[in-house]
Amino acid sequence: MIDKVKKELEIRFPLLKLVREQHNYLHVKVERVSAMDAIVMARTSLGHSVLQLISTVDRIEDDVFQMTWILENYSACTVLLISADYPRENCIVPSLCQIWPAASAFEREIFEMFGISFPGNPREGEDFLLEGWKDTPPMRRDFETEEYAMRVYGERQPREHLDPRQYIGDIVGEWNTPMGRKREEEK
Amino acid sequence: MYCNQPPEKPGNKKELLEKITNMARANSLWVTAYGTGCGAIELRPLHTSRFDMERFGIAMRPTPRQADVLIISGYLATKTLKRVIRVYEQMQDPKYIVALGSCTINGGMYFDSYNTLNVLDKYLPVDVYVMGCMPRPEAIIDGFSLLMQKIKDGRAQGWKHYKENLDYYRENQKKIITDWDLPDYNW
Ligand code: SF4
Repeated sequence: MIDKVKKELEIRFPLLKLVREQHNYLHVKVERVSAMDAIVMARTSLGHSVLQLISTVDRIEDDVFQMTWILENYSACTVLLISADYPRENCIVPSLCQIWPAASAFEREIFEMFGISFPGNPREGEDFLLEGWKDTPPMRRDFETEEYAMRVYGERQPREHLDPRQYIGDIVGEWNTPMGRKREEEK
Repeated sequence: MYCNQPPEKPGNKKELLEKITNMARANSLWVTAYGTGCGAIELRPLHTSRFDMERFGIAMRPTPRQADVLIISGYLATKTLKRVIRVYEQMQDPKYIVALGSCTINGGMYFDSYNTLNVLDKYLPVDVYVMGCMPRPEAIIDGFSLLMQKIKDGRAQGWKHYKENLDYYRENQKKIITDWDLPDYNW
């Protein structure tokens, strides 16, 4: 079943890269310009009509956001993942709300977490998970989580590390089991 | 609509009367049905027959207006804090807060999260902390008996402290809740 999907996609999108393939699972990477075509084709003619998830990976090394749309075909029990890279700077990705209204929630979440804009989403910019967030979007990798937490929620005392061996000696604990003793000896 | 003065003390209550009232209060703690973080899971066995908290006179109430204890059962996101403040301010006096888990004490394992606060005491007056990650129902019962003892001794005065130091609490709350839209305190 998934072979047929793969063949069809390869005919239509010659620049397609295969990421991973299993008996009911196919992950392909397409050029940015043809991502929407691939998704529409998967829905209309390949039977992958359920949008399960839209996910984003911040690949800061390559200066791109990798978007992945996960599409399922319930009757054939196959999963198709379509990925595409979008540049990080002022990232704009087309919205899928016209095709799947449910895409709205995913896109609003990605907008808040990564700052990726989805023109065409009627509810873009409405508060969703973060209310009144003013900093860098928190899931971007250039966001300094720890520094932010220290600044906003206040310094917290660093955790003291207490070695249990100091307190209870060698009476109990992992190092006094046969396995632990063996490991100690090997050291 | 809102008064801006705390209510006058209702006459000179005799100490004995206050003591009797406190005894009654301690033995009928009604808890708001509210849960956050991982800790609400440990409250379920506490409600039901195994640990059965009703034998201590602790019962769940569906609305904050009927309750006098608010359990903060774990980490609090800033978004949740807004709701919690609203719930707390709607509760009738006297009211007490029981905070469970290390997340409410110093941030626990979410200390460097971008979205969860570290020290709950800065934002709401906590009467009893129960430590653990997550405290078992026995520990929570222990915390409740401590709270009862505090009420009987007249030491559970968090609600009064909140009123008297409202500016301090408000300042801290507004520091992390950037889109402040809560109504003013209604005495
Ligand atoms: S203290 Fe532990 S169990 Fe409780 S909310 Fe935090 S992480 Fe979860």
